[in-house]
Amino acid sequence: MSSEDLFVRFWGVRGSIPTPGPRTRRYGGNTSCVEVRAGKTLLVFDAGTGLRELGVHLGRSTDSPVTVHLFLSHPHWDHIQGFPFFGPAYESSTTIYVYGPRGDDKHYQLLSGQMSNAYFPVRFSELGARILARSFKGTSVDAGDATVHLFEQKHPGGSLGFRVEYAGKSVVFSTDNELDQLLLDKQAAFESPDELRKLPKELLKPVQDADLLIADAQYADDEYAQRVGWGHPRANTVVDLAAQAGVRRLALTHHDPMHSDREIDVVVSEAELRARRLGFEDLEIFGAREGVTLKI
Amino acid sequence: MPRRSPGSTQDFEDVHTRVATRVRGLRPRPERPHLLEVVDGPGKGTRFRLEAALYEMGRGANVSLQLDSDEVSRLHARLTRADGEYTVEDAHSRNGVLLNGLRVHAAVLRDGDELQLGDVVLKYLEGT
Repeated sequence: MSSEDLFVRFWGVRGSIPTPGPRTRRYGGNTSCVEVRAGKTLLVFDAGTGLRELGVHLGRSTDSPVTVHLFLSHPHWDHIQGFPFFGPAYESSTTIYVYGPRGDDKHYQLLSGQMSNAYFPVRFSELGARILARSFKGTSVDAGDATVHLFEQKHPGGSLGFRVEYAGKSVVFSTDNELDQLLLDKQAAFESPDELRKLPKELLKPVQDADLLIADAQYADDEYAQRVGWGHPRANTVVDLAAQAGVRRLALTHHDPMHSDREIDVVVSEAELRARRLGFEDLEIFGAREGVTLKI
Repeated sequence: MPRRSPGSTQDFEDVHTRVATRVRGLRPRPERPHLLEVVDGPGKGTRFRLEAALYEMGRGANVSLQLDSDEVSRLHARLTRADGEYTVEDAHSRNGVLLNGLRVHAAVLRDGDELQLGDVVLKYLEGT
């Protein structure tokens, strides 16, 4: 591995609630968690139940002290529930930085709050690791060797998206973002769903020309009308965002807990067809799947 | 056959079906091996039975899972077994490793996955 390599591994790609079982075995049932390796820097985006598996992996693969730069999109359950089961958090040699917006340690407080003893037998204060709150300076922060930029998203209670920059490459993590509420013409997307859905320029900027966009794509077009305001977009709208912003690869994630592997295949296939039909031949689209590592 | 009396309203009589021996409940089940089958390209039809903790895949003479194609690197990828699952990892190959058409650095394999190394396509048949 060269010091300039950037890797992304999916540990949890499910939205809302873990979904173990044969229907979800291929894509996986753990909730949101993505590992990004920027040289020797370990960044983790979201602490859903996939984080437990990352902890097991780290415990087996290294004897060295672990430093984790942890970014939470928001503190809903499916984005924090893995933390009490993250093995390295119990090791005194571990350091965990929990990032939040400037002047706001809400993420740190809610992450620790879920370990009050009404919910979990081990208190946050009893964890062995050094766990420290860190703030962005404005909209950016240096995390180890990488730079991370944050942007606000549309979700009940709010959520954050993150763009990682390292060695001239970029990865965007953007989950729980109801893009459909931000379309320039919301009604047109219902009346003429095959037309390109236009988004405001300020939404394109954070994902512009990204090498990889990992984006919430929870709903198929025909499901969304019953779920307006739930905080998640149509997969096809995410395709249009990626296409308009010149993204190279798009990973559809935050799979709906009701979707089986086969149903996710259908969502992904329709997204690919849409991109081709709209003339965006170079955009590569796939369904995020647990256990897959990409080199950026 | 049970005898039916003419005019009886009881059309079906209890014949007291007996099961001779009840099948035992929980038993250790035999393991089915994991398999990789070449489904396209050179060597089509070849099956590899996966049992070892590590395989090296490539066209080189010293690899443990040999693929006879010039489009495959001498050491193309590694297969490692952990917790009963196999993970494929690109070993800095020239043409990369495709998982169901997606270029990956590594991936835990699942039943029915198609791996492409050069012009060799292998289907993974997951065992237990």
